[in-house]
Amino acid sequence: MPTPKWLVVARNEYRIRMNKIREIRPYFPYLVIGLLAVYVTFIAPRIVDLFIDEFLAFFLSQVAIAMVQILLFTIFFYFILLPITNTLKEVQTSQLEIFLAAPIKPSDVLLGEFLGVMPFYAIAVTLITGFFTAVMTPLGLGMIQIAITIIIFIVTFFSALWIGTVAAALLRTKFGKTARGKDIGKALALIIALPMIAIMYAFMGGGLLETLADPGTSGIVRAILGLLPSSWGAEVIFGFASNPGNIGAVGFETLTRFGGLIAFFAAVLWLGMKAANRAYSLEPTTFTASKAKPDGFFYKTVKYVGGGGSFGSLLVSVFKDYSRRLENLSKIGYIVGLLVLINIFLGGSEDLEGTLLMPQLILPLLAAFVVGEVTLRGKETLFIYKKTPSGVGRLVKARLLHGWLVVVPIAGTITAVSTILAPQTTLISMLTNTGLMMLTLAASVAFVLGLSLLNPAFSDKSGNYVLNLMIVMQGWIGLTLVSLIVFGRAFDLGMYDTMLYVTVPLSWLLGIVFLYLGKRRLSRIE
Amino acid sequence: MKVLISTDKLSKHYGKGGEIKAVDELDLEVYEGETFGLLGPNGAGKTTTVRLLNCIIKPTSGTATLNGDDILKDETEVKRVTGLLAESPGLYEKLSAYEFLEFMGALYDVPKDILPERIDNLLKLFGLHDRRDYLLEGYSRGMKQKILIAAALIHDPPILFLDEPTSMLDPRASLMVKDLIKKLANSAGKTIFICSHILPVVEELCDRIGIINQGRLVAVGTVDEIIAQTGTKTLEEAFITITGGVEEKELLAWREQKSANA
Repeated sequence: MPTPKWLVVARNEYRIRMNKIREIRPYFPYLVIGLLAVYVTFIAPRIVDLFIDEFLAFFLSQVAIAMVQILLFTIFFYFILLPITNTLKEVQTSQLEIFLAAPIKPSDVLLGEFLGVMPFYAIAVTLITGFFTAVMTPLGLGMIQIAITIIIFIVTFFSALWIGTVAAALLRTKFGKTARGKDIGKALALIIALPMIAIMYAFMGGGLLETLADPGTSGIVRAILGLLPSSWGAEVIFGFASNPGNIGAVGFETLTRFGGLIAFFAAVLWLGMKAANRAYSLEPTTFTASKAKPDGFFYKTVKYVGGGGSFGSLLVSVFKDYSRRLENLSKIGYIVGLLVLINIFLGGSEDLEGTLLMPQLILPLLAAFVVGEVTLRGKETLFIYKKTPSGVGRLVKARLLHGWLVVVPIAGTITAVSTILAPQTTLISMLTNTGLMMLTLAASVAFVLGLSLLNPAFSDKSGNYVLNLMIVMQGWIGLTLVSLIVFGRAFDLGMYDTMLYVTVPLSWLLGIVFLYLGKRRLSRIE
Repeated sequence: MKVLISTDKLSKHYGKGGEIKAVDELDLEVYEGETFGLLGPNGAGKTTTVRLLNCIIKPTSGTATLNGDDILKDETEVKRVTGLLAESPGLYEKLSAYEFLEFMGALYDVPKDILPERIDNLLKLFGLHDRRDYLLEGYSRGMKQKILIAAALIHDPPILFLDEPTSMLDPRASLMVKDLIKKLANSAGKTIFICSHILPVVEELCDRIGIINQGRLVAVGTVDEIIAQTGTKTLEEAFITITGGVEEKELLAWREQKSANA
């Protein structure tokens, strides 16, 4: 009897994901199961023991149900996003032809792809479930109650992962056939992380716990979240926590909510299998090719800024190539979104000088995204410049100007808005903050450009790219801290004076040195 | 001679109202043991035809039979009797050559007891047995092409579709692939359907050719017959005559324009 096709696909998926540890592949499952068993039986209970009083108090508190509902919803949402984000980062349809040409049903491919990745997701699910079970056990739950609790976690999370897998397959087919679609996919992969960050910030500093302590608000949150399947299990679990060892006391709730959860899982499984035909198709979805419009006011202005001649045309080309990639625009949107969320949930600084701190730490990442792109399209794009007369210098000049024209106005606007939101703002303080930030960011653009040429990354998956991002982030944090703590304290300077006399000159020094070194490296690159 | 591939007004239209005719009422017959070449310029409909015949996409109208099985009614059977080397195929680069062929064999239900031996034989045939455990990501383009042809042969299908089999290969790898195609046709009796725009390859390998242009089959026959039909001397000239091309005098027109402006 031939092996079921879904098993063939699942085994293949598993092999692909295990390729980095091929040598230990035969032992890997035993190793992981062993480690997880140690975690579930020894480590998780010990961790819980350390905080047992706090956990018991939490379970008896007003916020508990709503809090666990939010937690489960967050994990549920995250598990939906995980396969989608992974797929959108690099939409690949080239293997589709292999499946479509073979005698295999699309539903088998979908199920196989899901099951092939499942062992890795199962590790995360076991870690979470093991911890929650360890927390619940001291309450005196019966064996059936513990078993149902474990099933609830597994079913909830696997439902989410299945929904994510189906959605990822559909999106892959939708976006994977055109360059534009792939670009949209990459753009979405970054932006869809923002809601998760918003929830995280709401937990961290958004007053969520305090809000939930209010019975009225807590009730509303519970009622809203109660509509979502991720919450149905939470209510069953809290029914058990209130009646440990007595499953009959919450028999009806268990039957309806737990039954509802199982029915939901069965329904999404069935719907996903039905959607599989649409998820695996090579039929073209669009015949509309992207077409360039004649240059409008914006590009004419950019050309003018670039001197109007051949350098102006070069600068316009750099702008067009950059701004026509949605992936690039989404990175700008991501950083702006991040700062907006910080202002909403973590609150702006109470003092005017303090409003500079967060943009000072986050905005260099914007420079890294915008200017760090210089080498990402491959070595060949750099060779185009190297081949032309004075090409290296013109590339550096064009990229520097492009970086300034994109990053500096955004940095200025964000800083101005953050300052306006702070109490006791004056026009002078707003202009000072904005000016200082624009000066620092202009230097960071030069620094990032130099760094990216000095340590070129020819793909965003390259280790060099990640390293450059880390250097920019850590470097700017270091620069700020050194300025404030070492120089600021030593000379008893305020934030403004430190920035003006220390941070700005230091950042410009770094920018100029790195730009010089980067340009020299580009001339020698082979 | 037995007809192994037969299309009946096979069409694939796209866009609003079907205004883009990728394949338009294709009527074609390919005989058992024959090597047939489908020639055409880029975008003529060659790959769409291959995808239709392999049940990868569905026709707008018309149908086709392969080895007697209808592409609309007997999809699974059609897939079993065909092997496909796609134009831009996706390899699982994180698998070794052996693992990839094992996966493909399982997809096509090759019995477990004969699969290992068949994989070994194919790897030996292609001179890749020593590298069977290396990941495909480290293979050269020619080696990858060999593995993809081996994958198309893994279930020993009577009909083999090769979409641009030599277009990305260096001369040595190209020669090897051409020799293999000849052997498959002559010794193994396979029916081979080649799509290409490289005329010498088609001329060398194919018993008969068809020329497709803008979705329509505009000529069928042996190379000599097509040359005779068009009153030309070579297949290249015949191809240009049938599909149209840029006139010689137009080629440098842009320079003359520049001189005039100057």
